[in-house]
Parts: sequence; C-alpha cells; structure tokens
Amino acid sequence: MTVSPVKVQKDRVKPSPFARYKPLLAQLRTPTALAAIGVSVLLLLLPVLFHFDGKQHANWQQFLGRFHPLAVHLPIGFLVLLPLLEIAGRRRPALREAAGFVLTLAFLSSVGALTLGYLLAYGSGAQGATVVHHMWAGIALTIGVLLCLMARREWVAADVSRIYPLLLTVVLLLLIYTAHQGGSLTYGGNYLTQYLPAPLQRFAMSGQTKENDGSFYAKHIHPIFDANCLSCHGQSKVQGGLRLDSYAELMKGGKDGAVILAGKPTESLLLQRITLPADNKLFMPAEGHPPLSAEEIGWIRTWIAQGASPAAASMPGITFAETPKDPPITPVGDYSSLMAEIHQMQSAQGAKLMTVSSKPSDGLVLHTIDVASSFDEAQLKQFEKFAPYIVEVELGHTAVSDACFDTLAKFQNLRAIHLEATAVTGAGISKLAALPHLVYLNLSNTKLTKEAAAQLATMKNLQHVYLFDTPARPPAPVPVIAEPRLATGDKKE
Amino acid sequence: MKQHPLCTDCETALDVMKMPVPLALKQEWAAVQTRRNFLGRAGKALGWAALASLAGEGILSRVAHAGGASNAHISRAEQLGLPHFAPKAKRAIYLFMSGGPSQIDLLDYKPALAARFNQDLPESIRGGQRLTGMTSAQAHFPIAPSHWGFKRYGQSGAHVSDLLPYTAQMVDDLTIIKSTNTDAINHEPAIMLMNTGNMNAGKPCLGSWLAYGLGSMNDNLPTFVVLQTKLNDKENNQPVSSRLWSSGFLSSEFAGVGLRSGGDPVLYLSDPDGVDREVRRKMLDAVEELNRQTLAELGDPETNARISQYEMAYRMQTSVPDLVDLRKEPQSTWDLYGEQAKQPGTFAYNCLLARRMAERGVRFTQIYKRGWDTHGDVTGLLPQLCSEVDRGCYALVTDLKRRGLLDDTLVIWGGEFGRTVYSQGGLSKENYGRDHHPRCFTTWMAGGGVRSGITFGETDDFSYNVVKDPVPVRDFNATILHCLGIDHNRFTYEFQGLDQKLTGTTPASVVQGLLA
Repeated sequence: MTVSPVKVQKDRVKPSPFARYKPLLAQLRTPTALAAIGVSVLLLLLPVLFHFDGKQHANWQQFLGRFHPLAVHLPIGFLVLLPLLEIAGRRRPALREAAGFVLTLAFLSSVGALTLGYLLAYGSGAQGATVVHHMWAGIALTIGVLLCLMARREWVAADVSRIYPLLLTVVLLLLIYTAHQGGSLTYGGNYLTQYLPAPLQRFAMSGQTKENDGSFYAKHIHPIFDANCLSCHGQSKVQGGLRLDSYAELMKGGKDGAVILAGKPTESLLLQRITLPADNKLFMPAEGHPPLSAEEIGWIRTWIAQGASPAAASMPGITFAETPKDPPITPVGDYSSLMAEIHQMQSAQGAKLMTVSSKPSDGLVLHTIDVASSFDEAQLKQFEKFAPYIVEVELGHTAVSDACFDTLAKFQNLRAIHLEATAVTGAGISKLAALPHLVYLNLSNTKLTKEAAAQLATMKNLQHVYLFDTPARPPAPVPVIAEPRLATGDKKE
Repeated sequence: MKQHPLCTDCETALDVMKMPVPLALKQEWAAVQTRRNFLGRAGKALGWAALASLAGEGILSRVAHAGGASNAHISRAEQLGLPHFAPKAKRAIYLFMSGGPSQIDLLDYKPALAARFNQDLPESIRGGQRLTGMTSAQAHFPIAPSHWGFKRYGQSGAHVSDLLPYTAQMVDDLTIIKSTNTDAINHEPAIMLMNTGNMNAGKPCLGSWLAYGLGSMNDNLPTFVVLQTKLNDKENNQPVSSRLWSSGFLSSEFAGVGLRSGGDPVLYLSDPDGVDREVRRKMLDAVEELNRQTLAELGDPETNARISQYEMAYRMQTSVPDLVDLRKEPQSTWDLYGEQAKQPGTFAYNCLLARRMAERGVRFTQIYKRGWDTHGDVTGLLPQLCSEVDRGCYALVTDLKRRGLLDDTLVIWGGEFGRTVYSQGGLSKENYGRDHHPRCFTTWMAGGGVRSGITFGETDDFSYNVVKDPVPVRDFNATILHCLGIDHNRFTYEFQGLDQKLTGTTPASVVQGLLA
C-alpha cells in the first residue's frame, strides 16, 4: 500500500484541534474526491430526477430491476467481510491489504445494486413508506461506503484516526436497517415476528394495535390479506395504487377503481385476480408468492356475496370450531402406592376403580355397572379413601339416592358425575358447588326437581349438564321430518 | 482347544439360560422347550399340524404365564400401560355400511356434474386407473349426476342429499370426512382393510384390539358386540363374515360376540328345561376345574379363553335378557327411533341396542348394514337403504347426545369404499348404476374426541380424486384409536416376528384436523 505524504505532515506540525482535519479538507480538493462528491450528489438527486409516480414504466427497467434482490447480496457480503478483515489484519497485514480491495468492490457493487433497485421501484410503479425508506437508506449507505473508501487511506497510513472505524460502524448499522426494510418489502412486515415465541411476541408487538372487533372481516378476511398481500399492497409498498391494510383502503380500491363490489363476487376485481389461472400475467398474488388456498378464496367469495360488510360477525355456511374448551385437566396425586389396595377393593366390592390412563396424574374412574343394582351410598363411602385420585364416578343405574351428594362433595378432584337413571331428586345438590373441577353432571332420567335444576344453573364450572327426561326438563317432542317417498319416481329438484 | 460356546458338538449340554442373551430370548427358548416336552409326551399322533398351530403362540403363552393366577385381578390394560393418555371417548359405536355407499348421492355434493350428464369421464381424471372387472370392459364411462337434490343444513352449512332428511338434521354434530380413501377396489379386501387394517384375513379387527387393550367396563356383557341388520328382499347383498370381527392372532376371547337379529339374541343362552341356574353353575364349575387341569398341563392360552367364555355366557344369561328388554323404554324413545325400532333385527332396533349397550359399558359395538353395493338400479335401491338407515343414525346420535353419552362415545359411520361417478351399465335420466370406487368416499364421526360441525377433506368436481387432506384407512383408524386414548404406534402385539399393530407397517398418522 502506498504511504500517504499526509503522515509526514502530521508528525511534524503540532496539531491544533482544527488543523487535525486540515489534511482531510485538503484531500477533498483532489480529483478523486471531486469525483466522489459528484457521484454522491448524483445519487441524492436521483429521486428528484426520476420521481416515483406510481405508474409502471418500461419493461426493460423491470427486467433489470428484478435482479436487484439477487445483486444486493454482493455488497452485503463485502461489507460484512470488511470489519472482519480489518480486525484480523492487525495480526496479518496481508488481510488488511485485501480489505482495501474489498471496500472498493463493496462500493462498486453498492452502486450497481442501487441502480438495479431504483429501476425495480421506478419501473414497477412501487409506492409506499417502506419503499421510500429503503431507497433513501440505500443511497445513504452507498455514500457512506464511498466516504469509507476515502477515509480509509488516511487510517491505513496513521492508524490513529477514528474517522474510518466510526464511518464503517455507521455504514454497518445502515446496512442492517436497509436490509430489514428490503426484507419487509419482499416477505411482508410481520415476517420476522410472525412465529416469534408468544411471550416475546407480546413484547415485540406492544406498540401495535390489531384491528379485531370480532367481525368476520377482522377475524378471517383481513388476516388473509395480512399474510399474503400486504407486502405489495400495504402501507409500506403500494403496487397499483391499491392498499389492503384497512377496510377503508380496501373498499377505496386502486388505480383501476374499486376492487370489491358488495354482493357481486364475480364482478369484484379482487376475486377475479386471485382466481385467474396461476400462469396468467394478472394473477395475484404475483411474483411467485404462494396462491391463496381454495378455503380462503371461498371465504372471500362468501364475504363479498354477503355484502362485504366490515361488521357482520358470521357468514352462512362457514363455521369455525369455537366451542368453549373444557379447562385443562388438573393433575391429581400419584396413586401408584395404593395400587394393591385398589385391586383388593375391586375384588371385594365388584365396583371397579379403573385408571384413566397410564399416567397416574390423570386419576381414576369408578365404574359400578357390574353391581349397579346393589351399589348405594354405603358402598360409595368405602371409596372415600381414594377420593383425592378419583376424577369421575359412574353411578348411573345404581341404588344411590340424594344422600350421595354428601359423600360426593368430599371427592375434591371430580370432573364428571354420572347419576342417570337413579332415584336422586336433587335435594342437597348444591353441595356439589364445593367441587372446583366439576364440569360434567348427568342427571338424565332421574326425579330431578325444577328447584334443584335452578341451583345447578348457579354453578359456573358446570359446562355439560344433562337433565333429559326429568321433571325439571321433560323430553321435548321430536321434530317431524318428512321422509322422501320410496317410489323411484322421485323428481330431481 | 477352547470350546466355542455355540458349538453343539460338546459333551456337556448347553444351558441357554446361562448364556449372555436377552431375557426375552431365554423365555422364548423356555416356552419352546416345554412345547417339545409336551409333544414328546403326546406322541407323534399330534404331528406337525399341532406344531404348526402352536408355533406362533410362543408369545401368547408367555403373556399367559406372566399374567397368571397370582395377579389375575390386575387388568390387562394396566399391564399394557393403556390408555396411553387420558381418552376423550371411553367407547365407540361403529355403524358399518357394508357394500360401499354412494358418496355422490348422499354427502359429497357435486353440482357441476349436472351439466355433464352422459359425457365421458375425462381420461385425465381417471388417470389410467385399473377398474374392476365389472366395468373395465365398458367402452364409455358416462357421467351420472346424482338423481337427488342437495340442500345445506345447520350452522355448518353441510350439503346433504334429500335421501337423508334425518342425517341432515344433525350435521352440526358430525365430522364429515369426504377424503377417506382405501387401497382395495373389491369388497373382501376393502372390508378387511377397513376393519383390521390389512387386506388379508387373520389380523385382529378394531374391536378386538380395543377389547384386548382397554378391557371391559362391565364384566356381565361382552367387551365387543356385533349386531347384524336383517336383510331386505331388494338388496344386492355382499356377505359379511365373522372374519370381520375375528380376534386374529389375539386370544379368541377378544373376538366380537354377535347378537342374533331374530329370536334369542344368543342361541342356547337360556337354560334348557329341567336345568335350573344352580345346576348350571355346578356344571360350569366342574367344567372349569377340568379346563384348569388342561391349562396347567398344556399351557395353551386358548384354554384360558374357553374358561372365560363359559363364565361370560353364564353371566350373559341374566344380562342379555335385560339388555334386549325394551318394555321399559319411554315413549320418547319410540318417538325418536320410530316404530321400526320395535322390530328386532332392523337397523333402528340395533341402534337402540347400541345406545343401551353404551349405557351398560360395552366398549365397542359394531352394527353391520349390508346392501350398499349398488351396481345397478341406484334410484330403486338407495331410497330403500336410506330409509332403513337414516333415522336410526340420527336417533342414535341424538339420543346419546340428550342422555349425555355423546361426550364420551365415538360414533363412526362408513363403508369400505365409495362408488364411481360414471354409470355402470346403461345410463338414463331415471336410473343408473355405480361401480366400486376406492379413491374417495365419505364417512362421518361424531362424539368424544372429534371436532363437530366440520367437513374435512375435498374431492375434485367428479368426486373421483381427493384434492385436499386425504384420509387413508390407516390414518382413519389411527384417529379412532387416538380418540380412545391410544397411540397407534405404541399399541403393538408381537406376532410372527413383527410388532403388529392395527395401522400396519406403512407409517400412519392421527388426522389432527378431525380432533376436537
């Protein structure tokens, strides 16, 4: 590497704080520096000369422009390599020498990538905040690399100036920012956060509020756009003048007018474009993004046909499993040590304590069907010892009466009680309110009174209560259903 | 010279039990030894036939020894570590539509077919598939749209044919699977595959696996009951045989117990004249004593099965009459099931029995309804078949639901395959036939463990190929086992050197989209 004469000057002259930068200023007058300034100004003026007007331009621009995502990785690679070479170069001077070469390449490839990127955005008529951010960041980055190139000469010579390391750090930070903006354009803004572990996600998303008022649009339609369309039709990038990031923008449409015609799915441009053959030029999502699934298209079609309302909560014919889930099973203690006694109990009683599963924490079920006719409260009491482990008692068709509620209230881990076809009337049934995990209670075909049923209504845990064929709920008449005639002459509708 | 440990030409006999081999191998060796002794004593008369019949039973006898008298009170399920996890369903009822119901005319709505009436099925759809001998010679494969209209029902908006007005009322309780598919195109292999997970006979069926693995909740009734529906005179019936509820290589005590569709549900169950229950008990005790002696001498596990079956029969003398005594059923039952259900042997009657067995803790009930093999006269046969079955299915699911039993009972409806979109034989506006179709058929499930009110899987516009979420038979069975708390991959039985399982050797998976 050539040694700059600046070094000599610097050693001799006692520097005043200002004089320290004198050599740099002197350097600015050299032809290289002037050329660099020229390039920078040109880059800065580029967006003014060729303004993003949202219209598509020449095809060759787009053709070349689409190499931008490929080409950008070259300067990225060079720039990431650079600090490694500089650091390793402390020990191995040959690497430091190579760094200068790499920096030059980084600058040239940056200019190339920038040009291609500009052609892509300008040619395809892209618009939006992220596009603009990405563009300015790219320009700043290229100028930064150019400054690095100039500052490095002095740094190599003296190795005391901090300007070059400082500039390089700034350039690398800029690189991260620019790359992230570019990634958001290609993959969508939530690409990185989509599968973030839930606790982190809450942290990362804290600033964002999601538009979800429980409507069909908010719950099912918007998420489709969010996942598939917003990378090109969102706030950050607005292809064809169309934005899908809010209901208002969606209904406003794009440069070809409205894309949703409420009630007319086949005439709605949006539906037309997503249902074209995938090889059609106008097919959406474009540029090789995966097409929407048949199910998603069906939802959009139904939603438009039903009036494309932002508020409608449900669509006829489309259901989602949203039945309230039972609370997760609370583990009970380990009964393994009592196994011998449990088996003994079984041979003595006839009633069986069966394991729910091979996991002891899932508990035991009491089956009494073998001895149902003779099983009463006295027998039930004998199982109190195992009460902490019993999660379900099957007392259907047994001889138990209302007195059983006293005993059952002591079985603290019960989740399900079967009392169907027994003599219970429900007197004392409120004692079951003491069971915190009880979700299932079967009293069908008993003498359960209306008063007892009213008490059950106050137990909030109970999700599955069966009162079929009781005084509290006599059987409802079965709806009469017309059967088709058996003759073969049935006419098709 | 040092003697090689495996050299048989040594003077002192080798003791396998002292060799550094796995314990399992030693036990198997021991079992073989006793069998040799037994054969030696019994003389050559038994010959090779006996050897062959016993050769596969080494493992069984091991289990029999392990689970001997000392710990007989420990249930097999506990020994096997079953269920693997807390089950959603304790029991299952399988409504088997033998013959292959026509999915296109019942549940798989294909409106676009109407415009293609009598057009040839595009070759691209059939894709060179080999057909059955019944239609492979046809010059044309004319598309036969369904003769019946479809409407949407319920919250879920599922399409149901006008042939099934009752089923239509309960679509929100059903999980309709349009993408079930099988590998077999003819009845026998297809029905074996559906029931046992293998096209060849000799494997245990789903019910036997469950009886073996989960055991009984009620010692007075069989764990696995089979009900056959009486035939009607119009049907083109494919036979169903006891192979379908056979226990295969599992002990025969796990085979399905068939209840007869007419007369006494179990033949010779009632005591003959002059024999009262006490005499019967004494007789059984004596027979059991003899059987125990035989077991002690020969160690054949089938003797155990015989003992337990005598005992079961004795207990069934009281439990079965109670099971089939419908006099105490309230009027609401008949309102729901219809008057047909009063006639033993009808599908509705069997559905009512299935509900009564669910109440009594029968683990697995399988109802067979034959006659779905509609090669011709679809418009004559289907209305008849549907009117027999439709109300029973609806009544069963609705009855289980109102009685609080659907929460822990899995109901399964389906046949062994579907039927073709093209007509077998002549096609007219009034009538057509449909051949066997393995590539897609529609089944449904309801109850414990499955997501209700959904339609799963999609077929193409011809109901010919599955285009989304295929459910092969092995996945179907794996999902049923999952609902009952069983991991199909861990539920195995060693036989013929293979860890046999219901879902076979091809990797199967539980269909998560069907689960609640």
